[in-house]
Amino acid sequence: MSATAKRHVHPVTPWVQALRVAPIVAVAVLFAGGEALFSAGLWLIPLFFGGMLLVGALVAGLQYVAWKRLWYWFDESGDFRMQSGVITKRERRLQLSRLQGVDIQQPLVARLVNMGSVKIEVAGAGDSRAVVEFLTLPEAEALRAEVLARSAGLRPDSPAAPEQEQLRVSGGDLFLSLLLKMSTIITLLVTLGIVLLVTFSAGALGLLFLFFTVIAPLLAVFGEFTTFYGFTVAKSPDGLRLRSGLLNTTAQTIPPGRVHAVEFVQSFLWRKRNWVRVRLNLAGIGDTGDGNAGQSAQTVLIPVADWDQAYALVREVMPGIDVLDVDLSPAPPRAGRRAWIQHKQLGVGADERILVTKRGRFERRVAVIPHERVQSVRVTQGPWQRKLGLATMHADSVPGPVKIEALHRRQGEARQLAQQEIERTHAAVARDSSTRWMAKTEGAGAPPAQPAASADPLLIDAPPPTTRPVIAPDGPGPAPGDEVIVTGDDDLTSLPPPTSLPVDAPPPASEDPR
Amino acid sequence: MTNPVDDAFVPPGEAWHPVSAKLVTARRLVLMLVAVPVTIGLVILAVALQDTPWLAALPLIIGLVVFVWIWWLIGRRVRSYGYAERSDDLLVTSGIMFRRLTVVPYGRMQLVDVTAGPIDRSMGLTTVKLHTAAATTDATIPGLPPEEASDLRDRLAALGEQHSAGL
Repeated sequence: MSATAKRHVHPVTPWVQALRVAPIVAVAVLFAGGEALFSAGLWLIPLFFGGMLLVGALVAGLQYVAWKRLWYWFDESGDFRMQSGVITKRERRLQLSRLQGVDIQQPLVARLVNMGSVKIEVAGAGDSRAVVEFLTLPEAEALRAEVLARSAGLRPDSPAAPEQEQLRVSGGDLFLSLLLKMSTIITLLVTLGIVLLVTFSAGALGLLFLFFTVIAPLLAVFGEFTTFYGFTVAKSPDGLRLRSGLLNTTAQTIPPGRVHAVEFVQSFLWRKRNWVRVRLNLAGIGDTGDGNAGQSAQTVLIPVADWDQAYALVREVMPGIDVLDVDLSPAPPRAGRRAWIQHKQLGVGADERILVTKRGRFERRVAVIPHERVQSVRVTQGPWQRKLGLATMHADSVPGPVKIEALHRRQGEARQLAQQEIERTHAAVARDSSTRWMAKTEGAGAPPAQPAASADPLLIDAPPPTTRPVIAPDGPGPAPGDEVIVTGDDDLTSLPPPTSLPVDAPPPASEDPR
Repeated sequence: MTNPVDDAFVPPGEAWHPVSAKLVTARRLVLMLVAVPVTIGLVILAVALQDTPWLAALPLIIGLVVFVWIWWLIGRRVRSYGYAERSDDLLVTSGIMFRRLTVVPYGRMQLVDVTAGPIDRSMGLTTVKLHTAAATTDATIPGLPPEEASDLRDRLAALGEQHSAGL
């Protein structure tokens, strides 16, 4: 594989980066010094602006140096390298054989100048991604195509494979769904409660704050709206590609096998329209730490969609599973004394492939995890549960918004469920083990539909790259109707090849488990 | 109401492997160390309220009651820790009010930590913690003597490699 010369990012980059923070800095400075300025005397203002210019020049100078020190290139072994740093030098090396996704992100400021950043993610613990910012859009797309071609073992200037758009969320649907979402309703009720409280204590003056009851929830809705606007799902040879964003455009690739758990969420106001949201637990995405893990675009497969469409998408990322066929057994009647509201909606069930749990009355949630993705199993019991002889069984998964919990079962049953789940996990992993990471793939021989030897992504030395026969080196790429699964050696799944399920065909049992 | 046969937290074999009783002493030592600044605070509060004697005595009485309760609770809590090694997985149990049982398949273990804080070290105890890819896996065994802890760690590491599965 040929090495390339070192390249810089676009020279305008420091300005774009500065513009991203400029509004915040300006506001902060104005708040801090604005009052003092005007009270001290008007002659200070030119001095103030002079000072700002000086600081600006210093920052620009630093940014210029940072830009000069930022290089990216491909080395002799075909890996992507990035070198950066003014004071502390940092060099990052990404093995493209473990590529999980290459995406182009466009923050608002970059969008205005038709530039974008390229985010390259490889399988590995934690910090295994590189972000090249900023390049002009054609350059960014060329870089993306080159990374994809190199990771597939093709000539670096092969064109990128086309993707087939499957689903797009309309702005109207998105807006309405966000209005009807449980978190919006709760915000509305809380704000209303606060306003009423203020009114009762402060008199009619409190009524002035009534408009806050509308503003507060709308603000929340606005945030999510800008994140998920124009959400598009497209199928491509390297996995499912998700794109969204009103101001900042982000994109993400979900290769097969990266999804560890899936959850269908439905607010009770969505039931009439048969809408559902799908959230994911993805390997390699740490818990963001804040409570917005479910709203962050990274862990949402689709923010709102018809049940049929959502189910079809889930079957794309988790091939061969059938959620609707799993019988869910309900919680015992005495769970009603512990969970007054949701006890009728609790349920757990499993078949040979997946474990399914159900919970929630006003916001119904159905969580699904394949047995081979279960990391550990827990049984917990609080004091109230102990008095009622109940316990909860948890199946632990990688960090993410999806929690798989069988709430408030009989204690003996909870233990039994845990034991059965562990046994199924062993069995499922053993079935996978026939093509485990100890065996190394030797390259071009692997046909696309056969699961290749899965690499433990935490292994230091990955097996050599396998070619992807679907991208013909001289052809235009796979025809839109082709059903393909990428089996790079960072393939984390050995699930059987997916069955083709067109998006608008109804699933066999059209009754949803709610 | 809890039917012993139906209990969710029975050990898989004969009994849970217990942790060292010295953990009780270690934890009570920590409690006493924490109680010192808290007592000072309560005394200050009492002095501030000295005009109303019964109100001044209240924080001190509450503090004493809480101290005694936690002292007793530590004893019970340490006795509730246990672990059991099976052929394919490890079970860890703990807790009295909030009981927990964790099952970790050996193949899922990514990391085995053996740590000891200063008080634990002075009493000759260590804590073994298993990590999987899930953040919610809660397999922590405190109060193990160092030889037992390192034996356990070595066994777990060997079994982990043997059963090693992908993510």
